[in-house]
Amino acid sequence: MTTTSIADPMSPATTTIPVGPLHVALEEPMYFRIDISGERVAHVGINAGHVHRGIEYLATKRTLIQNVVLTERICSLCSNSHPEAFAMAAEEIGGIEVPERGKYLRVIAAEVKRVASHLFNVAILAHLVGYDALFMHVMQVREIAQDLKEGVFGNRMDLGAICIGGARYDLDEETTALLRSSLDKLEPEIAEIEKTYRTNGSILRRTRDVGVLANSDAIACGVVGPVARASGVDYDVRREAPYHVYDRMPVEVKTRQDGDVWSRAMIRLHEARNAISIIRRCLDTLPTGPVNVGEKPDVPAGRAVARSEAPRGELIYFLKTGDSEQPERLKWRVPSFMNWDALTFMMRDAKVADIAIIVNSIDPCVSCTER
Amino acid sequence: MNFLALFARNLTKGPYTEPFPFAPAPTAKRFRGKIEFDAETCEGCRLCERVCPAGAIRMTRTAEGMTFDCWHDSCVFCGNCEFHCPTKSIHQTADWHLAHTQDQKFLMVEHALIPNQICAECGKEALATAPATRTVTPPLSPTETQHLKALCPKCRAKFIRARKAAA
Ligand code: SF4
Ligand code: SF4
Repeated sequence: MTTTSIADPMSPATTTIPVGPLHVALEEPMYFRIDISGERVAHVGINAGHVHRGIEYLATKRTLIQNVVLTERICSLCSNSHPEAFAMAAEEIGGIEVPERGKYLRVIAAEVKRVASHLFNVAILAHLVGYDALFMHVMQVREIAQDLKEGVFGNRMDLGAICIGGARYDLDEETTALLRSSLDKLEPEIAEIEKTYRTNGSILRRTRDVGVLANSDAIACGVVGPVARASGVDYDVRREAPYHVYDRMPVEVKTRQDGDVWSRAMIRLHEARNAISIIRRCLDTLPTGPVNVGEKPDVPAGRAVARSEAPRGELIYFLKTGDSEQPERLKWRVPSFMNWDALTFMMRDAKVADIAIIVNSIDPCVSCTER
Repeated sequence: MNFLALFARNLTKGPYTEPFPFAPAPTAKRFRGKIEFDAETCEGCRLCERVCPAGAIRMTRTAEGMTFDCWHDSCVFCGNCEFHCPTKSIHQTADWHLAHTQDQKFLMVEHALIPNQICAECGKEALATAPATRTVTPPLSPTETQHLKALCPKCRAKFIRARKAAA
């Protein structure tokens, strides 16, 4: 441990302050050891491991079918992307072809989650900025997406939309109408919110040129998702390696060059709006037919890697199956894991008051990272 | 965003929150809530027990037959049991009223019994499960199904074989 000097406000010597593991500005436990010099951050140390639950080990004690549910519970906000990537890996091993309608339904589920996840992060930003009226409003708009999830999938967070070999849910006339009417409500609201974030003085003052991640640092850290795209890294799994039917979808990958907190928020708002267009395209072109290949598809011994674009970025799954029903190994590389490291660059010389805003801007998911 | 307009809108619309518990909270038809089990149509395949990730379901052979228990406190409402159940004898209702006091926690169970019966053909004791008839062609008539249900597994298989040979 370095010596901690007794703070003398006039002295340029550094002081060490702990942020976390339990802290008002953090939703989940993470420990930051921050050396500050005056008002500015001099060095950041990140210490993880407070919510390690041993899920990777547990997964090898559960059957593949049980793991679809277990992986869904690794993370609440990306809950659909985990079983999605897991099922894709299992299907790869088993040589299972998902029926067309199942693929469309998977895309719909993934994009609905993207809308809700991005709105949540953008809302928290408003809260951290101290603009709680806006926070409440964005959360209220997100509530439309939550009600939609409850109406179509039966749960507000864990959609249960995925099974090995296809989708577990189907759309009928009623749920399609609910989806469409919710999207019609969401779209103008999100456009309005986007406008507010683009023009509102309080938001701009606290987020422009704050927590900047330069393009070269972004590449060096290997960041993914909106964090990467806000720093000019033009990368989205949905476009680079299209899965399901993303090659037929109007996926707009937008990048920004500034790499600050504001750019990341704007990328998320843009993606939330783009997700709505994607869902609409799915609904317009949804084919008929079965939604999955049947109840218990056969997955032999083998290994496979699958990846998908979770709301937070590229999610990679490695699955190794043996002769038993339980996998021999299941490993995932979550998007937040890559983005954590970039925090040390973003916080360089940041103001102490901006720490929470910067941490939130990578949309950190501790439960994914530490599982 | 014009916050004055938003303010006016929120004022006229009234609170967004539900007045629960003073009025019923609207619940989606598809809401995945409390588990319900129907012993009448269950085939006793125990698939639900095997696919349940939470270990909430236990089926046990007893002197009276086979008991079914689903502990609502362990259930994570994933719906795996319903999805994999061939007869949909187990399903999730839209009921989410599961709050209970601490002393009730071991009583939050869906319990049922698939009783034993005496086989109408050979007189042996066997479970009175619903017969698995989905793959039988041509489909069984209701009276045939009724008859099949009164038999033990061996006599059921015999019946199906005889029917196939006759067809
Ligand atoms: S409830 Fe369904 S899955 Fe469970 S034993 Fe009965 S028929 Fe099988
Ligand atoms: S809903 Fe899921 S956790 Fe609950 S009993 Fe069924 S399989 Fe088990």
